[in-house]
Amino acid sequence: MLPLKIAWRFLRSSLAQTLLIIAGIAVGIAVQVFIGSLITSLQGSLVQKTIGSSPHITLADPTEGQPVVYSPFMRKVLAGTKGVSAIVPVRSLNVLYSNNTDRVPLTLVGGEAGQLNLIYRLSQRTVEGNPTLKQGEIVIGTDLAKKYLLIPGDKMQVNSGSGTQVSLLITGIVDLGSSAANLRTAFVGPDLPRAQLGFRADQYSAIQVQLSDPFGSTAIATAWRGQFGGVKVSDWQVDNKDLLQALSSQSLSSYMIQVFVLVAVALGIASTLAISAVQKTKQIGILKALGMADGDTGSIFVWQSVIMGVVGTTLGVLVGFGLIAGFTFGTAKSGAGFPITPQPGFIAISITVGILVALLSAIIPTRNTARLDPIEVIQNG
Amino acid sequence: MADALVAALGLGKVYGADIPTRALGDVTFEIAAGEFIAIVGRSGSGKSTLLNLLGLLDTPSEGTLHLRGIESNSLDKRGRAKLRNELLGFVFQYHHLLPEFSVRENILMPYLISGGPVDAAIGARVDETLKVLGLEGLGDKNANDLSGGQKQRVAIGRALMNRPAIVLADEPTGNLDTENTEAVYALFRTINEEWGTTFLIVTHDQDIASMTDRILELRDGKLVQDIRNAYAGQPVDLERSPLAGAITR
Repeated sequence: MLPLKIAWRFLRSSLAQTLLIIAGIAVGIAVQVFIGSLITSLQGSLVQKTIGSSPHITLADPTEGQPVVYSPFMRKVLAGTKGVSAIVPVRSLNVLYSNNTDRVPLTLVGGEAGQLNLIYRLSQRTVEGNPTLKQGEIVIGTDLAKKYLLIPGDKMQVNSGSGTQVSLLITGIVDLGSSAANLRTAFVGPDLPRAQLGFRADQYSAIQVQLSDPFGSTAIATAWRGQFGGVKVSDWQVDNKDLLQALSSQSLSSYMIQVFVLVAVALGIASTLAISAVQKTKQIGILKALGMADGDTGSIFVWQSVIMGVVGTTLGVLVGFGLIAGFTFGTAKSGAGFPITPQPGFIAISITVGILVALLSAIIPTRNTARLDPIEVIQNG
Repeated sequence: MADALVAALGLGKVYGADIPTRALGDVTFEIAAGEFIAIVGRSGSGKSTLLNLLGLLDTPSEGTLHLRGIESNSLDKRGRAKLRNELLGFVFQYHHLLPEFSVRENILMPYLISGGPVDAAIGARVDETLKVLGLEGLGDKNANDLSGGQKQRVAIGRALMNRPAIVLADEPTGNLDTENTEAVYALFRTINEEWGTTFLIVTHDQDIASMTDRILELRDGKLVQDIRNAYAGQPVDLERSPLAGAITR
């Protein structure tokens, strides 16, 4: 382990230079860890906000307003598909909410409260009341409640298209994450829409499905289109092409930043090692004259790289975690942010790449060292 | 030749391919174990070239060199480095110590390069070397904190660490004052006599040369004299050769 010992002494003897390059690696890796985790979490947050509480795949009749039959075959296929996390058959009824002054169109999404919770997460999104959906009960959005000063316990009158007027008791007010939804969407039990629409027990407006991996929707939707003839299978990724394009562009720019940061780190280490190799030419020449083999003198610079790479990368990861904690704390305080989750896989890649880049940086000084002739050093004093 | 510690036969060195320059040519001699030899000659006579060849730092263009029976041309770069570490010790004009290490570590360096374990016996060997060199108590000091004479003694200690068969010294007292020069010579002599180490000293110093047992004189890359000094220890002026009658060929 003599080359390691010599490498350590060389690094210690040029402490300021060593600390600067370690700081350079640390900053590079910290940026990697922070930017990588920030972008991944931001995308996760965006996806969650956009589609976390909406179906990923919807099966409906191609003709609007016509019911889709939730057959035992469909039930079996849906339940048997890997990656499906929730299946919610719903019946949607368009009604008009009327009070003394105003008439507002409203879409009533009808289903079992337990099932609707799987996709719409009504319990989690409740801002007031208790969102039960027994017969004659309704859960409305925050914007509607605010606009018409409605609170849980109030009764509201709705008219179906056929002219029937129904009085419903508001049990809860939920924030669905979008102003339009909060104003135009409300939830009721399964019976009211069924009775109004005249659907059979196995007929629904749509079968809504959520997946554990939202990005697996296209493959599953394609497979289902082949299996269910005469059924319209909608995929969220097709409906949100612009968002996906934005996410993909964001990923690309993130990768570009990371690649350039790594290149900067690599150039930094390589140039420092090259300078160190020149500074230590005399010592290397002496060691060679004393009988040290070329491979061992070369490995001094490899060890220098390893030490700087490991220390710099470790510090970088710690600083990266610090930045993440600081960012999360700062944005949580202002209430404007989203939590950044450190990405273990991404951090592992950053560590590996950091150390690998440091090792690659040792190639030039190692090669120059192998070429060094000890006679030159000895004769030139 | 088989018994000789060093055997050079027709040794030559030519530098440059496009414009060849001969630095050494047709040098033949043998050295037995325990000899105390000076290599003398003017600047550019080929002394350092010969020392580099003997020290396995360079390879001959012509002829053969055997060190303890091993033909140097049969070794690759790594083999030459290994033999250099085991068989040879170097003392240069400039001390060439490693400033990142202590006196003790500098002395120990050739042994560390050989890959041997640093046990109590090796620690005792370093202590003994420090004692012989008059550097007791300075082992833990940084090599940079010593005087010029002390640094050169550390360099001698480093050359002796692996108890080499041959010590090659290139103008070892060139940077030292008279007092330190005499001390270094005395040290070489003591080690030569007590440990049986062979010394080859390249020197300009007539006094040092006159005190060796044998003088190899180079001129224009040729070995022109190989003389045994019957009056070793007495001053000699090679230019005027006042001891010519006393020197045996």
